[in-house]
Amino acid sequence: MTEVQLLQTIGMSVIGVGGAILLFVKARFVRVMAFVAMVLGAFSLVALSVPQMASMPPAVEKIDVASIKEKKELAAIGQKIFFSKGQCALCHTIGSSEGRCPDLKGVGSKLTREFIYESLTQPQAYVYMDYEHEGRAKFFPAKMPHINKKPIGLNNNEILAVIAFLQSMSGEEVTINLSELATPSSASSEGRKAL
Amino acid sequence: MRGPSLAVKGGILLAAVFVALKFVLPLLTAPLPMSLIYLYLFLTIIGIVVYGTLSGESTEALLGPIFRFLSGEGIGGAVKSARLAVLVLFPLLVGWQTYGGLAPNTQPPAESRTIHPAPPGEFVGLSNPLPNTPENVMMGTGLYAAYCLPCHGPKFNGNGAASDGFNPPPANFADPGTIAMLQESYLFWRIKKGGVGLSVEGHPWKSAMPRWEVELSDDQIWKIIMAEYAGAGQKPRTWE
Amino acid sequence: MEHIRNHRSVYAYAALFLVLVFAVAMPVGLAWAEDAPAGAATEYRDIPGMGSRNLIWIVAQQHLLLAGFVLGVPIFAWVCEIVGVRTGDQRYDKLAKEFTKLLTSSYATTALFGGILLFLLIGLYPKLMNYLSDVFFPSFLVYCALFLLETATLYLYWYGWDSMQGSKKGLHLFLGFLLNVFAFFIMIVPNSWATFQASPVVIAEGSMWARAWAATWNPTWWPVNIHRLIANVVLGGYICGAYAGLKYLMAQNAEERVHYDWMGYVGNFIGVFGLLPLPFAGYWLMREIYQYNQQMGITLMGGFLSWLFILQAMLIGILFVGSNYYFWLGIMHRIPGSEARYRRPILAMLVILLVCLGVWMTPHSLVASLEEARKMGGTHHPLLGVFGVMSAKMTVSNLMILVTFMSFIMYWRAGKEETARWAKVAKAGQGVLLGIAVVVVVVLGVWGYFVPAITRINYFSTTQVLVVLFVLLTVTPLTGLLMKSARTTTEMVWGVMPGRAGYVLVLNAVMVILLMTLMGYARSSSRVHWHVYGVMQDTSQYAYSPALGYAAAIMALNTFLFCLLVAFIFWVASMGGEKKGGPTDTAHTKAKDAASPAVGSAPAASTGHQ
Repeated sequence: MTEVQLLQTIGMSVIGVGGAILLFVKARFVRVMAFVAMVLGAFSLVALSVPQMASMPPAVEKIDVASIKEKKELAAIGQKIFFSKGQCALCHTIGSSEGRCPDLKGVGSKLTREFIYESLTQPQAYVYMDYEHEGRAKFFPAKMPHINKKPIGLNNNEILAVIAFLQSMSGEEVTINLSELATPSSASSEGRKAL
Repeated sequence: MRGPSLAVKGGILLAAVFVALKFVLPLLTAPLPMSLIYLYLFLTIIGIVVYGTLSGESTEALLGPIFRFLSGEGIGGAVKSARLAVLVLFPLLVGWQTYGGLAPNTQPPAESRTIHPAPPGEFVGLSNPLPNTPENVMMGTGLYAAYCLPCHGPKFNGNGAASDGFNPPPANFADPGTIAMLQESYLFWRIKKGGVGLSVEGHPWKSAMPRWEVELSDDQIWKIIMAEYAGAGQKPRTWE
Repeated sequence: MEHIRNHRSVYAYAALFLVLVFAVAMPVGLAWAEDAPAGAATEYRDIPGMGSRNLIWIVAQQHLLLAGFVLGVPIFAWVCEIVGVRTGDQRYDKLAKEFTKLLTSSYATTALFGGILLFLLIGLYPKLMNYLSDVFFPSFLVYCALFLLETATLYLYWYGWDSMQGSKKGLHLFLGFLLNVFAFFIMIVPNSWATFQASPVVIAEGSMWARAWAATWNPTWWPVNIHRLIANVVLGGYICGAYAGLKYLMAQNAEERVHYDWMGYVGNFIGVFGLLPLPFAGYWLMREIYQYNQQMGITLMGGFLSWLFILQAMLIGILFVGSNYYFWLGIMHRIPGSEARYRRPILAMLVILLVCLGVWMTPHSLVASLEEARKMGGTHHPLLGVFGVMSAKMTVSNLMILVTFMSFIMYWRAGKEETARWAKVAKAGQGVLLGIAVVVVVVLGVWGYFVPAITRINYFSTTQVLVVLFVLLTVTPLTGLLMKSARTTTEMVWGVMPGRAGYVLVLNAVMVILLMTLMGYARSSSRVHWHVYGVMQDTSQYAYSPALGYAAAIMALNTFLFCLLVAFIFWVASMGGEKKGGPTDTAHTKAKDAASPAVGSAPAASTGHQ
């Protein structure tokens, strides 16, 4: 018997017992509870008769730096990080004004890779001045967190992959060389094992 | 109360709804699946019961004849034999249904494929990096003719020469229910990852769409997308 | 008397607590030292047999339903108390007091389940709890402080009820107001934790408070707050109705029947009142979800959860039909001689409701066998396929709201005759307004098929909602004004409703509870395999989301458990209290007077049951 059939059998039995109680038992409280159980049993049966789909988590992917052969693959990894672990998409959009922070469409061709790297690791290093008030201009602090520190804490390889993605999605040549990636053997910090 | 009782009227209404859905509707359009007919009949029954039990008198008019028929009180003649027939046939019907539900058969299980499942997160926020210029669309149309046309057809309606070989058939882009309700990023995902890239609810084993990332570059895919919208006369869905 | 009752309920609670602790602790104890690799922090613990997720599911759901009840009842009680003061009808004050009594006993149970839930979460999901405490620790403190305030206010409100009658009534009403304010904040603080899991925002560096504040203001926080606030009123109203329905069925004498019939009427009234704006709040929430993350929106509406919304349509449909049915039964039975006059409009409304429900429940992709699918040319029917899309669903749900609203107004006006000179004009105006609203909703619904999705969502659907809301907000006060000066032509007779009315009240409450469990599952599963969406992945063996059938079985179990729990609480609260006069003592003379013509003849008719 499959799980669905088992549950269907239980649902039918509940309805049957409830019906018997309604027919033969006089106590009002028991009757009302039997009525409730019958309604719930019927609901379960309906839910069991529609298409049954479970949602499976994706297979866990282990990425090995040594296996990356092409820049395209690096950009694809960067794309995944951009939309998951890096949490970039929580604020930034690509080609939409709905986001809470600057839109990143074409950012790979507007900015150099060094500038993007600096924006990710030292977001307060180069910020606008705020003149919209009395007196002297103030720094207008960026909302951007340090991407290489906790809680997001991407390692160097991951940041390079994200930059590769930003460049490729802007239609630019990826200027990150695969030789720049730290391999696990040369990496000293334990955090680099992740990529 | 004159005329037929509420119970009889209700029975006639139920039968009429069934006949209309099962036999009259197919004359005008495609037949309805049984699951939908049962749903509408169920709603009709709710309506009859609710209306019939509004007041004490109508409850009697609805349920009285049914109870009398079943208990056999104060009926006679043909009705009495009808009652006997119902009492014998009903258990047989239930038994037949149960048997039909359990016996193995050659019918494949009902179809429940989700045609447009949720895309993976890394594709949701993408946008087309290329400007929508006539040259780009023209290049896309050329690529479409080379790679997509055999299945999706010269008129973008899923009616290409090879389309007959596939079930489910290739998507019809002219249908407002396909690319018109999707964003460009969704098409990018489907073209790039193909049928095998679908999630389980999309039944990846059924789609014959190739994984075009093997042969086409991202830019080429974006151009094809522009060509498809232009050719099918649709606009991509936007959120602002 | 009071002391004895309190002691007995304390014993009952102690027993319940011990049973639950044992039931929970035994399996947990067995699994406590589970697979923690040496050195690494434990991320998950499991419970063999039932599974950690199922246990959390059940405990969290019970806590949430109880919490909904505990937050809904003060609103309900406070509104009743105000009505009592304004109209001078002592029945409302008594009703409010009766429900506040239930509140005191269910409050403790809610906290008990909250405690169990917290311990289980810390034990079974340490990784997640660690993360959430890191972000939200300040709001934990706020939550505790709010709880102290709420508890103190509740004690004052309940124990001061009788001593604050008369000149101090204003102070008591103010206490009720404070109680609701604290209750509202108690609801929105945990909402921020749950909504952060679904729609997290990036937390920059900063002080502990700044981080928690930033995380609290996530995109779905306010939509969920509003949705839950309204839903709590609905839950409180319908549970009051179900309680009255049950008591009505179990009533021993005419006096009790009169009282509980009236209570069921008030419960249903408040429930429907909350139900009407609820779909709008749900629509707003759904929009925010789509805007926050399209992937989550598609998972809900078009992906693996799409069938869930058909079930939701079924439950809401039954709730709408059930509530209307109760109104109609009320018109037919409580107002003698009304049958001939109201049968036709009722039939029309019933047909519209069912047609709308049929459209709402028609799925986009139909369940069809291979043969049927071949005849249709796919899983979309060429003709009825048009019912499957959002434009149709929005239209029919708006129409159902309008029809239910008409029932509501019809019941309100039944048996009364307007005396105001402008009554004719006002009534005609109301009719025209309703007619225009229906036409606008339908026209926009049909037109919605021919415009881009974004126009439909941003302008058409919003307009439909605004039009219906406008009708609700203008016709209600207008009718209230008309009724103020109206002359009663036929006195309502209480206590003569048939037994099925009691069952319908119970059915409506079950539908509301089931809906809450169903949509809780939807909200949770829309996160798919994430604890915190896009930020912290669920790597336990329970990262998958179960199919609808299995989930529905647990929802049904949860609903049944909750019903038993509420029945138990009500029973505990009624133990030993005010036994002799029933709940209806001197204050109900007014109700008795109103019903006196029927009391003699009613019992025979009203004891009939299904």
